Amino acid sequence: MDELRAALAIAQKDIRNVSRYRFSVAASIFTPLYQGVLPALLFGASFAVGGKVVGLEKTIGTADLAGFIFLGGVVSGLVATAFWAMAMSFRNEMETGTLEPTWLTPTARETLVLGRALGGMFWFGFGQIAILAIGAVFFGLRFRLEAVYALPALAIATVALVGVAYLLAAIVLSIRDATLFIDSTNFLFATASGAAFPVVLLPGVLQPIAFALPTTYAMDILRNQALGTRLLLDPVTEYAALLATTIIALPIGLWAFRAADRRIRRLGTINQY
Amino acid sequence: MNAELVTADLRALGAAGQMSLRQLRRYPANFIGQIFWPVLLPAVWVLMGQAYSGGGDAQALDAFATRSGTTGVTLFVFVGYAMYMWLSTLLWGPGTSLRVEQLRGSLEAVFLTPVSRLVPLFGPTLTNVVWVLFQLVVMGLAVWLMFGVVLPLEGILLTLLVTLAGLPAMYAMGSLFGAAVLRFGEVGPAVQFVRGALSLLCGITFPIVMLPGWAQGVSAAMPPTYVVAGIRGVLLKGATPLDLVPTVGILLGLALVFGAFAVVVFRILEASARRSGMLGRY
Repeated sequence: MDELRAALAIAQKDIRNVSRYRFSVAASIFTPLYQGVLPALLFGASFAVGGKVVGLEKTIGTADLAGFIFLGGVVSGLVATAFWAMAMSFRNEMETGTLEPTWLTPTARETLVLGRALGGMFWFGFGQIAILAIGAVFFGLRFRLEAVYALPALAIATVALVGVAYLLAAIVLSIRDATLFIDSTNFLFATASGAAFPVVLLPGVLQPIAFALPTTYAMDILRNQALGTRLLLDPVTEYAALLATTIIALPIGLWAFRAADRRIRRLGTINQY
Repeated sequence: MNAELVTADLRALGAAGQMSLRQLRRYPANFIGQIFWPVLLPAVWVLMGQAYSGGGDAQALDAFATRSGTTGVTLFVFVGYAMYMWLSTLLWGPGTSLRVEQLRGSLEAVFLTPVSRLVPLFGPTLTNVVWVLFQLVVMGLAVWLMFGVVLPLEGILLTLLVTLAGLPAMYAMGSLFGAAVLRFGEVGPAVQFVRGALSLLCGITFPIVMLPGWAQGVSAAMPPTYVVAGIRGVLLKGATPLDLVPTVGILLGLALVFGAFAVVVFRILEASARRSGMLGRY
């Protein structure tokens, strides 16, 4: 119970911190729109024949370009929350000099990640509601009612991403310059999950990596339920793979995080970056 | 006397360039990012193009060709992203150098020297061309090794010519941004916004005809539009040096306009800074 209170307190602190920078909050909504969604929509529309993106229909089974792009943004946002809000925030605390005092509190180290996950998920939800509302009003974004059936898949993928965040936090605590690492791996993770294009278009050698990521299945199930796209595998296999990758990701992440914690305590490098 | 001053300012300009070259050498890890992003960002868009075109569906590609003038989606995207990378290095590098000096506390000291104020404004742009050429080489290799697109030698040489013709206009634009950002302070969001806006306006990831009329009008006043169109013309449509003459002329004209505008904005901010003492504040 104490750990839950600590996690909620961390989440509350993160939410309050972010809310103080309203320009950043607005940027977190508009930047994905003008840097990702709009260019992708216009690029996709340049292939349209008579107003219909026939190529996309041939590839995934639907010509709903806006739905395809906006839902890719949902999973990209979820991945970015794990990489930046959960893992990279340790580096931010290092830079502001508050990580060492945090490490001295009796709170379990694992709770520090969980608290950040809760805070990050709040802003993720807030941002996605705003982005999807803009999509509905300005880009004719419409989903099938079956989209709600994909929520369990998103919830399971979120748990898996907490495991990934533990692993990333371990790396962030162990290396000196984490920005390029987080930036590039976040991009690769979202891309390999099929956020921008179906993973079957990846070169053959990269496809096993895509199928080892829980978010690939969550992305596929979400688009299938919300837009009626073709699934990569049959639904039972997709859910089984999503559960299996989640069950693997969480203990591996925890193990790496605990190992990094032991290492930085032994070497005394918690305040070095 | 005036000739002596000009010579001294040119020496100072050379020293400013040497300083930024030395800083560039001190952080070799930056080269990793300059290989990663120019390869993977356009590669993802090429695969998006494959998804949107149904893996090369004839109808979809014809529709794209009607709007862009080419069916070569891969090269279209890579040329656009060469400009995106150029904009990134320009805005994060020379575009923010004055602000970085302000944050480090060295801007006031630089302004106390007797050199022309134009030296710190244009000096950091001199070595940025290293990144531009490096990225062009990386992207040329990537498009060949990953997608099997072999660039013709004449096309490569003319691409360099267009790049050289675009340098003054691009750096004048960067200096204008650098001067403006000194006033507003928020560097990160400003870079993101300007780069995002230019990416949308200048035909980087999609044909300009997809934009509404008013936006096409704005894009016609932006140097990146002509650099991108020139390189695409050379590599995708076999444009000759003679075909490039209007593009080069427009780019030189835009260099004068943006350069003059940058100097005026900088002078206004400098006068304001003298009155308010804002150079040391941030």
